[in-house]
Amino acid sequence: MEAIAVQGLTYQYHSGSPQVLKGIDFLVQPGEIVVVAGLSGCGKSTLCHCISGIIRHNRDGVMAGNILVNGKNIEEINGASLAFEVGMVFQDPDTQLFSPTVEDEIAFAPENMCLPPERILERVNKALDVLGISDLRYANPYHLSGGEKHLVALAAVLALDPPVLILDEVMSQLDIVGKQRVGDALTRLRDSGKTIIAVEHDLQAIAFSDRLAVLDDGKIICFEPTSALLAEPSFLAAHGLIDVEYNGV
Amino acid sequence: MPFLQLNQVAFTYAGKTSPALSGINLSLEKDDITAMVGPNGSGKTTLTKLMIGVLQPTAGSIYLEQRPLAQYSLAEIGRRIGYVFQNPSLQLFCPTVAEEISFGLTNQGCDPTVVEERVGFYLNYFELTAYRNAFPLYLSHGEKQRLAIAAVLANEPEFLILDEPTIGLDAYRKRLLEEYLQKVASLGRGMLLVSHDIAFVNRMAKRVITMGDGRIQSDSGWRGNAAYDA
Amino acid sequence: MMLDPRTKMVMVICLTSLALVYNRPAQLLLLFAVTVVLLALFHFRISAIWGYLKPFLSLMLFLFVIQSIFSPGNEVLLAIGSVPLITTEGLIMGASVVLRITVVIAAAMLLTTFSSRDFVLGLVQWRVPYELAFMVSIALRFLPIFKDELINVVTAVQLRGIELKKIPWGQKLAMYRRLALPIVYGAMLKAQQLAIAMEARGFRAYPRRTYLRRLQFYWADYVVMVIFLTGTIILMIQPFI
Repeated sequence: MEAIAVQGLTYQYHSGSPQVLKGIDFLVQPGEIVVVAGLSGCGKSTLCHCISGIIRHNRDGVMAGNILVNGKNIEEINGASLAFEVGMVFQDPDTQLFSPTVEDEIAFAPENMCLPPERILERVNKALDVLGISDLRYANPYHLSGGEKHLVALAAVLALDPPVLILDEVMSQLDIVGKQRVGDALTRLRDSGKTIIAVEHDLQAIAFSDRLAVLDDGKIICFEPTSALLAEPSFLAAHGLIDVEYNGV
Repeated sequence: MPFLQLNQVAFTYAGKTSPALSGINLSLEKDDITAMVGPNGSGKTTLTKLMIGVLQPTAGSIYLEQRPLAQYSLAEIGRRIGYVFQNPSLQLFCPTVAEEISFGLTNQGCDPTVVEERVGFYLNYFELTAYRNAFPLYLSHGEKQRLAIAAVLANEPEFLILDEPTIGLDAYRKRLLEEYLQKVASLGRGMLLVSHDIAFVNRMAKRVITMGDGRIQSDSGWRGNAAYDA
Repeated sequence: MMLDPRTKMVMVICLTSLALVYNRPAQLLLLFAVTVVLLALFHFRISAIWGYLKPFLSLMLFLFVIQSIFSPGNEVLLAIGSVPLITTEGLIMGASVVLRITVVIAAAMLLTTFSSRDFVLGLVQWRVPYELAFMVSIALRFLPIFKDELINVVTAVQLRGIELKKIPWGQKLAMYRRLALPIVYGAMLKAQQLAIAMEARGFRAYPRRTYLRRLQFYWADYVVMVIFLTGTIILMIQPFI
């Protein structure tokens, strides 16, 4: 059973407007790290918002096609419960953080899951640990720097412990240390069986991924093992995904 | 004579005990491309906000064109220094993209035909022509970035500060941005780029300032600062 | 002094009730003094009080004037012909209105001496449904967001080279009107994104939720609440005994 199965997905902002997604078929196996890349406006963020159920449950727009997460159709799961299947970290940390302290922020998800206080504390500690931000435990998220906010947002979603994780342009907003920590955390999560989809511009940031899907104008034009694609910099450069000058990894 | 001069500048956020910045001594010229690098939380963004007068230093003094910064109004600073925020949504407030670009010029009494021409030029250069009448907050992050840069550049300030301008841009557009910034620099405008994109910094900057723990750790004349990579 | 947030909420309710009942400036001033002392005890920065009151100054001035003029009274200070314009009683009533607002605002500041998480916990432990408690907490949290939105836009506008203080009123109003829509829209968009982010972390997946930390009353809380409640009731009944 695939972790994510997208069949014939199309999406338009309103009927009559041009399709942002033009018939996407997309299968992700459990325990994979997949990167979705493409030029800005190609639909990669929209694809992720569809998979995580946000568009279906929160936005207008015309969506057609099937999306199955861990074998379940997202139409049949209500918005909040979908979070237990797919955890999504959004691009803008300012609208994702709303608690007075980082600890409260991370505890929010396990509290929603009705876990007992000891288990909530366990998850909070684990999330802080895995991303190396234990020193920020009592900080006010509002006053953190941009990169720190991203780490907190990621920690807050990790506390859900979902089988699938989607990151919308998180790596590119971190500094070297942050990228390293998140990269390590993601690899460890993948090794423990989690499935990870990362939307990124900066291919170098996710060179450790398993497969790379390239979108162009609402269609997937290529979905291959990352190592194979990174060995063909000219193809990637032709789609503006890496600079002609440097050699991929 | 330096365009922007900071002497022993320090800053602590209200209600906090430890300073965000301390002992900052810096001069920036009007015709240099300078990069500011450093880990998250090292005070880069805070320092840039002090430079444009959005925050006031708790100690030390800042001079813009040899006059104390405190004597300038925000608008006067804005005409000399263009600032692009890390989160572009913070500086977009017009109902359409075209209006966003023309806002500064129109409200300063610029000739409508000149305004129209500039708007057309920037829309074209940043590939936003298709979004001319779109609502700015609906654009994607990368598009908002381009719009914010265009709106700030339209005012033709002498100096630009860009806070993490490459975030949200794919390689192709990063290249376009670099080209444009190079062009702007060659017209004699200075630039301060805050970025942790090493490749970008190495290609663009003649001078690299490394921040750490609220202080300037090093100020190289040339790129490639190993202390930051560690 | 570490008191349970619910105790502080009770204090706010008591102080506000008394402020609504009292009519004389002397009493209201005393109430204000008590509030300030409490704020100081809870480590609230006294200098910040002015910052909170400032936005209401024009409103208070307006109400003072409305309340003072044409009020009936015995000691006439100023008259137009035979119609009393300003009387001492009128001035006293005007002062009372202003002081009342001041006390209510200052009492509300007591609510900022604890975090929004404790505020939600307090309400929830008082059996308020958690969705409601969060709604109130987020709404309160949105006031600073709105304020920030406003400050951001004003800063951004100025940084584009516009001297807001120097442009003529007509142009300024026109500009505010045009900016109003994107500002409100921007804030609403943020609100929507916030709601989505909360749902993306499972908010309202179940009819109840658990909490990492719980509030607990100690004897100090009981003592303070009893003092405040009985004190308030006595003070309110007193004029009628």
